Amino acid sequence: MSLVRLHNVVKRYGTLTVLDGVSLSVEKGEIIAIIGRSGSGKSTLLRCVNGLEPIQGGRVDFAGTVVNDPGTDLRKLRQHVGIVFQSFNLFPHLSVERNITLAPTVVKRMDRNAARDLARAVLRKVGLEEKIDAYPDQLSGGQQQRVAIARSLAMSPQLMLFDEITSALDPELVGEVLKVLEEMARDGMTMMLVTHEMGFARKVASRVVFMHQGKAWEQGPAAETLARPVTPELETFLSAVLH
Amino acid sequence: MIRDLAFIDLLYLVAAMRWTVALTAIAFTGGTLVGLSIALLRVSPIGPLRWLGALYVHAVQGTPLLAWLFVFFFGLSIVGITVSPWIAAAAAYSIYAGAFLGEIWRGCLQSISRTQWEAGASLGLSFVEQLRYVIVPQAVRVAIPPTVGFLVQLIKNTSLAAVIGFVELTREGQLTTATTFRPFTVYLLVAALYFTLCFPLTTWSRRLEGRLHVAR
Repeated sequence: MSLVRLHNVVKRYGTLTVLDGVSLSVEKGEIIAIIGRSGSGKSTLLRCVNGLEPIQGGRVDFAGTVVNDPGTDLRKLRQHVGIVFQSFNLFPHLSVERNITLAPTVVKRMDRNAARDLARAVLRKVGLEEKIDAYPDQLSGGQQQRVAIARSLAMSPQLMLFDEITSALDPELVGEVLKVLEEMARDGMTMMLVTHEMGFARKVASRVVFMHQGKAWEQGPAAETLARPVTPELETFLSAVLH
Repeated sequence: MIRDLAFIDLLYLVAAMRWTVALTAIAFTGGTLVGLSIALLRVSPIGPLRWLGALYVHAVQGTPLLAWLFVFFFGLSIVGITVSPWIAAAAAYSIYAGAFLGEIWRGCLQSISRTQWEAGASLGLSFVEQLRYVIVPQAVRVAIPPTVGFLVQLIKNTSLAAVIGFVELTREGQLTTATTFRPFTVYLLVAALYFTLCFPLTTWSRRLEGRLHVAR
């Protein structure tokens, strides 16, 4: 059974339809790159998966739970679905350690010592163990984003969502964040990522989904789809971003 | 009978200050309780609760404090309920301060970016946990200057309690003026005494703000 299943998802803001019947399945261990122009609904699609955006039609399933069911405990769901944002969204008043241990201690009732060990472990994964006592404003953008990834990892999610996580970074800092993603991919993490990094999508993603006018316009194996797009819209998009 | 202004009058004024301080303490404590509730109602995810909070704020901000004092002290006694001036003052000042503090704190809570709430929610924190661990600690720093600003206003507004019988600093000044006929000197003294209450607060506020900024 698929880990994530979107069926005919419709999302509207007033009269503006952002998602217009999107269907998409994600298997465990898959890495889905979602590409498309800005305003095509990529980020919204991602935010529907962990219930940050309520939807107006269709359904979203995650591991057998209906995300858009009003009776669903979103708190529970979100412990299994991590999300990393474009603007990091670290808690500026908390140290790196506390940023990471907050949810495990509060939500999972882990004790502080175990949580500190956990923080060390996830920081090691993103190569920032020595920054455990720093505050977010003492870190570079790339480091902050890696801490944000570590913060999500600390909840040991089954699925990670990445919303344009390198778009706010200086070009020379993009590499260090993508490297962390590659390692997570090697560890077998299921990931959905909205990205503008076509090279990265080709190299790491198992599948590419091209969003256009609120629809999953074209999708297929990453390398093949990016090399030989079927629809003229994807072809136009690719020639625009690659040149 | 008119007599000269003496040192003892200054002592009387200083003694009257204790009612000013006591009234302020009651008003601020009550106002804090009411204000916290109102601020929470105003940022609640539930529509009707937000409206209830807004209704309260509009109603109280649109009516004079003096009217609330009258309602609780004289109004209730007309319908047969006798209230002590302390109870009446506590009720009126809590209602009044609660509306203003609630509105100040709502603004502070809302000044924290939506994305901070989202980051907390995405980690599985409940609404209350998001408030407690993420939003409030950041909002407190923003809240200090306007809260102390309002507290200083409150100190001065306790003089209105004179209408229901409190002989606090301003009222004592009036009485002293009546017996000595030295309004200029007496009210200068009164103003100076208010200043000794208010000035340390604003200084302390600035220091606290600086300290919290570093500790962030």
